[in-house]
Amino acid sequence: MDATESAAVLARARQGDNEAFRALVERHSRSVFRLAFRMTGNEQDAEDVVQESFIRAYKQLGRFESRANFGTWLYRIAANCSVDLMRAKQARHDQSRGESLDAAEQLPAGDTPNPQRLAESAEIDRRVQDALAGLSPLERAAFTLRHYEGRSIDEISAALGLGTSAAKHSVFRAVKKLRAALAPLRSHAS
Amino acid sequence: MKHYSEDDLTLYYYGEGRRRHDIERHLSTCAACAATYRDIAGTLAMIGTPDVPARSDTYGLEVWQRIRHQLPERELEFNWFKRFNGFNRFNRFNRFNRFKGFNRFDRFYGFAAGAAALIVVAFLAGRYLQRSENLLNPLNPLKPLNQASAEVSRRVLLTSVADHLDRSERVLTDIMNASTGDISVEQQWADDLLATSRLYRQDAIDAGEQSIASVLDDLERNLVEIVHSPSTISAADLEQIRRRIDAAALLFKVRVMSEELRQRENAPRDGSQPRTPTRKIG
Repeated sequence: MDATESAAVLARARQGDNEAFRALVERHSRSVFRLAFRMTGNEQDAEDVVQESFIRAYKQLGRFESRANFGTWLYRIAANCSVDLMRAKQARHDQSRGESLDAAEQLPAGDTPNPQRLAESAEIDRRVQDALAGLSPLERAAFTLRHYEGRSIDEISAALGLGTSAAKHSVFRAVKKLRAALAPLRSHAS
Repeated sequence: MKHYSEDDLTLYYYGEGRRRHDIERHLSTCAACAATYRDIAGTLAMIGTPDVPARSDTYGLEVWQRIRHQLPERELEFNWFKRFNGFNRFNRFNRFNRFKGFNRFDRFYGFAAGAAALIVVAFLAGRYLQRSENLLNPLNPLKPLNQASAEVSRRVLLTSVADHLDRSERVLTDIMNASTGDISVEQQWADDLLATSRLYRQDAIDAGEQSIASVLDDLERNLVEIVHSPSTISAADLEQIRRRIDAAALLFKVRVMSEELRQRENAPRDGSQPRTPTRKIG
């Protein structure tokens, strides 16, 4: 689909043509899934984000400015859907953790890192995933956009609807938390 | 000696920040900052890009199938009523706002204005079309008879194919929205359209209208599929037909082609119109 054709399809979609919107869904689904998966770290969550992003985009299409790039606009919607989903999950998690706090306190402390096990990349990946899961939704979103997606601070602030300073500090906080969480691995590695 | 913060070094790692050359020089002379930077870089290097689970080429289509029944009502591009209401909200001291039900009046006048505008447009369009019909009468001595005749044939083809595409669109839409069970009515309809479609396709080829022929060819294949399916269809078979229609973007193509043909029908009849739509569909 070239630029002229994309613009024509977009114009039709904005006028309420569902077949044109279908063409947009087909074109952008995989890139939205990739972003959503990186943001959420979970395949099912990513699928939910993909669906929700397109439904939101459909609802708001009348507000989309045709001068803007549809992909960029959709990217922002997907980033915000991911944050919303992570926040909802965290809220549920906090609630259930509160309910089972007494039980959790009786569990034995976590394993201390074993050099042999740490040598295995799967174990490192697991710990990295745990560390990422320890970030707040906004920190994770900002970090994902910076680290995996290579977005600049300005782009992150635009995508997440934050001020530049807030976007920057979300990345900084994420990096600090990750350094702290992964320090045992680093000390074993060095 | 001025040291750099972790935040400065994080930005430096990601290639951002304003004092990159200063930081670079500093790191070569300050062991403490260099150690912090190594730690940041080492940690971030451990966080490799995750492997995203693969999605097939038909993934977009799958997403569409999942969401298409969930699509809600939308704020359309030009929602005049909202704009009008928005203005009223803005104008807090508008004395009419004191009356309850003002918005109903608002809408009523909106509809009335819209209807009046439509009548005016229809009147003007009618006058224009009538005038152009007179100008293009085949008996018009300024136009050679054979050229006029070819023009008439071409227009008959455009009108007929556009009507045919409209009818086909309705059948396809019915199939897309059908529930499992009896589709014999749609099949009968598709069967009738199939015979006509073949004739029009041949006419389009003869007239050098390749884009029309191509859309009709796609349409034919899907109509055949519908006609040859069992009359009492299972969910799986129905889904398969829908997938094929979706995969060929058939509804979209049919709709676009129909609109283009209508536009060409209404275009000035000076023989300078392009034969086929200029852009490729699908």
